[in-house]
Amino acid sequence: MSIRVNHQEIVKAALESKAVDFGAIGKLVAELGPSVSLADEPWEGFCGTMRYFIHIFIINPGNPGSTVENLGGLQGATGEIQS
Amino acid sequence: MGKSTTKSLVAGRSAQDLVRRLGHTLDIARQAVDRLAATGYADPREPANNLRPEKVIAETAFLLLCASRAGAHPEIREKIQSLAERLIPYARGERMVLGVCLEPALALDYAQAHICLARLGYPDPGFDSVLRRSVDSQARAGRERPPHRVLEQHWLEEGWDGSRSNSHSKLTAAARNSVLGRPMDLLSSSRDDVYAFTHALMYVTDCHLPPRQLPRPVSVILAEAEAALSRCLDDQDYDLGGEVLLAWPLTGRPWSAAAAFGFRVLARVEDEAGFLPSPSTKLQRLNELKGDERSNYLLATVYHTAYVMGLVCAVALEPGKAPPAEIPPGRFAAGSADKILPFLDADAHRTHWREEFDRLAAPERNALAGLLFAIALRRKASQRDFAGLRATLAVGYELGLANSPAASQAAELLERIAAAAPLLAGRRPPPPERA
Repeated sequence: MSIRVNHQEIVKAALESKAVDFGAIGKLVAELGPSVSLADEPWEGFCGTMRYFIHIFIINPGNPGSTVENLGGLQGATGEIQS
Repeated sequence: MGKSTTKSLVAGRSAQDLVRRLGHTLDIARQAVDRLAATGYADPREPANNLRPEKVIAETAFLLLCASRAGAHPEIREKIQSLAERLIPYARGERMVLGVCLEPALALDYAQAHICLARLGYPDPGFDSVLRRSVDSQARAGRERPPHRVLEQHWLEEGWDGSRSNSHSKLTAAARNSVLGRPMDLLSSSRDDVYAFTHALMYVTDCHLPPRQLPRPVSVILAEAEAALSRCLDDQDYDLGGEVLLAWPLTGRPWSAAAAFGFRVLARVEDEAGFLPSPSTKLQRLNELKGDERSNYLLATVYHTAYVMGLVCAVALEPGKAPPAEIPPGRFAAGSADKILPFLDADAHRTHWREEFDRLAAPERNALAGLLFAIALRRKASQRDFAGLRATLAVGYELGLANSPAASQAAELLERIAAAAPLLAGRRPPPPERA
């Protein structure tokens, strides 16, 4: 596999290619595949062969779409975790 | 702050600041060991917060190993020594010994803390003997592992006993098979994919071990790291974002504008919250809890991201590796950042990175045009706004921002979508029949 990729040439070719109604396609994809989440692990249940065998050190995946709490509010708890 | 020749300053961000942050992490680590190393943490309401003690123990040991890079600072050295001695009973306790014996394929995982402590100068020949039996057993490789976990095994083995069975060359081969050896999916990957990237890089570039070549040019890997960083900043995922930031000091390359900005964002967030936060810490839940329950919940949800910040600061304390205090000048035409901002401002949500961005002077903002472009591309892709993606790409191309893997992957996505469109349109499922 080539390591050096000419990113600009790829972009140029895509921009110069035949015009497509991307707006309509986007709408279609949204209607067809709300369950085809880009961030999920579709292969996890696809054929049951890809499993996380090593469970000990997997980081907390967190809550997709969630965000950190108000920083000022968290500041109030800082003293509790200082030695 | 400009460059300084005084002893107490490294180029850019001061050593004093980095030492303070690392010291803060080590203080949190001490609490984490005292409260979580014996039995971990079980959250009755949010099982995603559950923590096995092995995880805290191993990650604390790893933190100490990285922190030892900053051992020239007496306050850091003292904290490392104190914490290492506190950790030893857990690292080599009954739970770990049994884990090594009963699950030989996970022996090195259970032994990670022991191995890190031994590398720090706290050996234990008795534990080594038990570990050797497992690592020499038939079942030693009996679990399937993703490539970055294979790398981890070789890293552990080489750190434990570098003379064993070509562990160095095995590590190099494993690096080629990992995400370091091929382009990351920058638009649709999961957090775990970025995690694989950050961890593979840590295992390959551990500076205490003999250096090895990365499977692709560093510049190529760092270009992908920048795209991953843009995702983490926009998601306010500081756990992963901090790990991505390690890519620059670990590879010994100068901090790019995006990376320098990324550290700046994390530092400010840490200063405002008192620690580097993750979404796991919920204020409402915290305020419902009292006493030990509250302290344990807080530590369990805070420690990992805090450790990540400590890792970054530890590595950045090596000579010449500190992030710059100011954003390095960019190569983009004046006004480039301002032309990308409308694509981002169309979305309502306000982020920490945007607040920090608005504080920058115009030249610094413009130096981040590439970062803004990467953020815009990912947002459009994840929203399935392919028309918006094309428009963003077109503007970026005209501004000279398209020389990046994020841009070319976005272009390839559009080409795939365009090719698939006739198939999708012709294969729509019929509407459900009315009763």
